[in-house]
Amino acid sequence: MKVVIDEELCHGHGRCYMLAPEVFDADDRGHGLVLVYAPPVELQEKARLAAANCPEHAISVTD
Amino acid sequence: MQDTAAKGDGIHMEPGAAFGAETAACPQPVFKMLREHAPVLKVPGGVVVSRKADIDEAFRRPEVFSSNADALNIGNIRPLIPLQIDPPDHVRYRRLLDPLFAPKKMAALESRTAALVNRLIDRFVDRGSCDLVPEFTIPLPSEVFLTMFGLPLEELGTFLRMKDGIIRPPGDQDEQAAHRRATADEMYAYFNTVLDARAVDPRDDILSGFLRVEDLTREEILDICFLLMIAGLDTVTASLDCFIAYLAQHPDDRDRLVADPSLVPNAIEELFRWETPVTGVPRIAVQDVSVGGTEVKAGEQVMVLLGSANTDEAEFPDADRVDFGREVNRHLAFGGGVHRCLGSHLARLELRVALREFHARIPNYRLAPGAVLEYTAGIRSLASLPLVWEA
Repeated sequence: MKVVIDEELCHGHGRCYMLAPEVFDADDRGHGLVLVYAPPVELQEKARLAAANCPEHAISVTD
Repeated sequence: MQDTAAKGDGIHMEPGAAFGAETAACPQPVFKMLREHAPVLKVPGGVVVSRKADIDEAFRRPEVFSSNADALNIGNIRPLIPLQIDPPDHVRYRRLLDPLFAPKKMAALESRTAALVNRLIDRFVDRGSCDLVPEFTIPLPSEVFLTMFGLPLEELGTFLRMKDGIIRPPGDQDEQAAHRRATADEMYAYFNTVLDARAVDPRDDILSGFLRVEDLTREEILDICFLLMIAGLDTVTASLDCFIAYLAQHPDDRDRLVADPSLVPNAIEELFRWETPVTGVPRIAVQDVSVGGTEVKAGEQVMVLLGSANTDEAEFPDADRVDFGREVNRHLAFGGGVHRCLGSHLARLELRVALREFHARIPNYRLAPGAVLEYTAGIRSLASLPLVWEA
């Protein structure tokens, strides 16, 4: 799995790092940062959940 | 539409005031009707947009759907920063301001917020009853602001008076406009005095933080303070009103929160979706543009109904069901795009701490017998929320 945030689309809602702090973090503006670009199996469900909850559709998760 | 127009051209001052107080109490069925029968409703001066797909589109195109000072005029002499600034200047302001309102900064306020919450609850917990609006939901957000601004809690009355002087000035239309202008002058002067003091004697507060940002002029800081006062207080009050009124009337959901406080963050997102305390936000079309197949002329207002986006079946399965376990929830209660609410992380902190502490101390409340809940249109706050419990 590969996780990417489109920085143009991210507007700092903060849903990703609230829901999956193991995979995402906040930068100093509160915009999302990917911590684990290729999450291991045990984190993949959380990564998908975070992507599905982004109000700006800024996160892509590809297998 | 309610006639709260600040200008004579049919552009309405109150965001989301498309409906009266009766609809504000239970807006979801009206939103559904709009989405099905008039998703882009023509009204004097513009359109009201209710489908999430069209709303997403408007938020993604701030260069067409502007949030400039024509969208909302409330006595400020210059544009409110950053709300009434469009890209590209907007980017500069958000780069400077976002770090001051980032989640990690807000986390440092958690224990002080909890102390403020408990101080308010101390005053009524043993009584077995309260009117939550004057005793809790109105003072709390202002006290949190005073704390952030490094001002004493004794300034609460001044704060509330200035905020209300802008948001709900008394009198007829002309008197309201005059009252707004006078209050705006007072507010600029008030913050100017405090900023003078902070410039000489900096502290660990947000005003000193603004002064440390080299790129911000004094005028810009005052314009930011103005926005914070009108955007950061009533909205949190309304959210507390809506959420606790919902929980008081849905004891099963309330009991789940009491039994498992770890549900609070997700419950807050679901309540934001369902209640959407800020019903809508105004934009201005800067060019002729098609919205959901309807032509909108340059200069017309585009009122975006956040509450309708948040209950749109095309986005949310079982949209009419409030489910604290809902896994996918892309609600737009804080707006979207470049103008996403600057204070959203602060609002979430205040609500999380308030609901957690309140339910830990008063787990068994209900509406007082005979209570009638009257919601205001636009920002859905309550005039009164009388609760009772076994003390």
